[in-house]
Amino acid sequence: MTIIFITLLTFGLYRFSRMLARRFPILLFHPLIFTPALIIIVIQLLPISVNTYTAGSVVLTHMLAPATIAFAIPMYKHIAFLRQYFVQIICGVLVGSIVAILSSFGLALLFNVDEHLLISLLPRSITTPLAIEVSTEIGGVPALTIVFVIITGILGSLVGPLVFNLLNIQSAMAKGLALGMAAHAVGTNRALEYGEEAVTFSTLAMIFAGVITIILGLTVLPLIIFLL
Amino acid sequence: MNKVIRILVQVAIIHIFFFAAIGVKAFLPIPLPTTIVGLLLLFFALLVKLVKIEWVEEGGRWLMAELLLFFIPSAVGIVNYNELAGVQGFFIVLIIAISTIIVLGVTALLIEKWEVNQS
Repeated sequence: MTIIFITLLTFGLYRFSRMLARRFPILLFHPLIFTPALIIIVIQLLPISVNTYTAGSVVLTHMLAPATIAFAIPMYKHIAFLRQYFVQIICGVLVGSIVAILSSFGLALLFNVDEHLLISLLPRSITTPLAIEVSTEIGGVPALTIVFVIITGILGSLVGPLVFNLLNIQSAMAKGLALGMAAHAVGTNRALEYGEEAVTFSTLAMIFAGVITIILGLTVLPLIIFLL
Repeated sequence: MNKVIRILVQVAIIHIFFFAAIGVKAFLPIPLPTTIVGLLLLFFALLVKLVKIEWVEEGGRWLMAELLLFFIPSAVGIVNYNELAGVQGFFIVLIIAISTIIVLGVTALLIEKWEVNQS
């Protein structure tokens, strides 16, 4: 019963927030900022505890798994692209993943961030279900990683166009790969603006970034963290 | 209504690959997450035409289009971490912003230069 109520409540507020965001495209109405804020207010008023809410939203959270598996469909549809540009995609994503992890690590050390926050930061540039697995594997706090993944997605999709203008990036492949690499699914959403080709590369970058980060998470990362 | 049922059935088909991945992982010690195993299984099933793309395309598109919705409960969980409200939280947003700009820039420049050199 709670599950049905919480699912419907979340879905309704999400729809409302998307409608607002479409009409007033400002950061405040971003579905990943405005909806959680509304939900936090509503459950305080009702009152439902955060833990009850989280337990009641299992159906929605569970859908992240099939949603990730569904990315096999665009991969299959664009298999010609995948074959033709396989080397570029792998190199771009490998370099991007290493830069993402090392720059997070270096900056976290520089700002003297607590160790469990630092570790939870490392897998932040990949899609949530995979980031959770890496975070668990390397001893991070999955709940924190999820929040960092979301912040990364929002920031990446916002600054992406600015970075491309500044560096005078023209190619749809470069824009798509960079967005999927740096900002996972939220970045891929932004790539819609640069056309179908950019979305394809963004999707492929997101998938491979996830896989490469998992491999790094099982091999190189425990070593780096051990040296900490 | 027809469309809703079609999407539900197709999401159920995609779910089969999630359960198949759990099954495969129970028998073979694959060091990959269940969702990636499921993704690869669905990819190969499409490649060998075991599954026709029309069976999953609409449901898959719906799942990917509503991806933000599935993130929301996790975002609500942030209230459990007061430590993010202070200076550390500000630093973390700053770290994520700087790091994300570097990743975007490096990846985009690498691919852009590569393409220019090739043509």
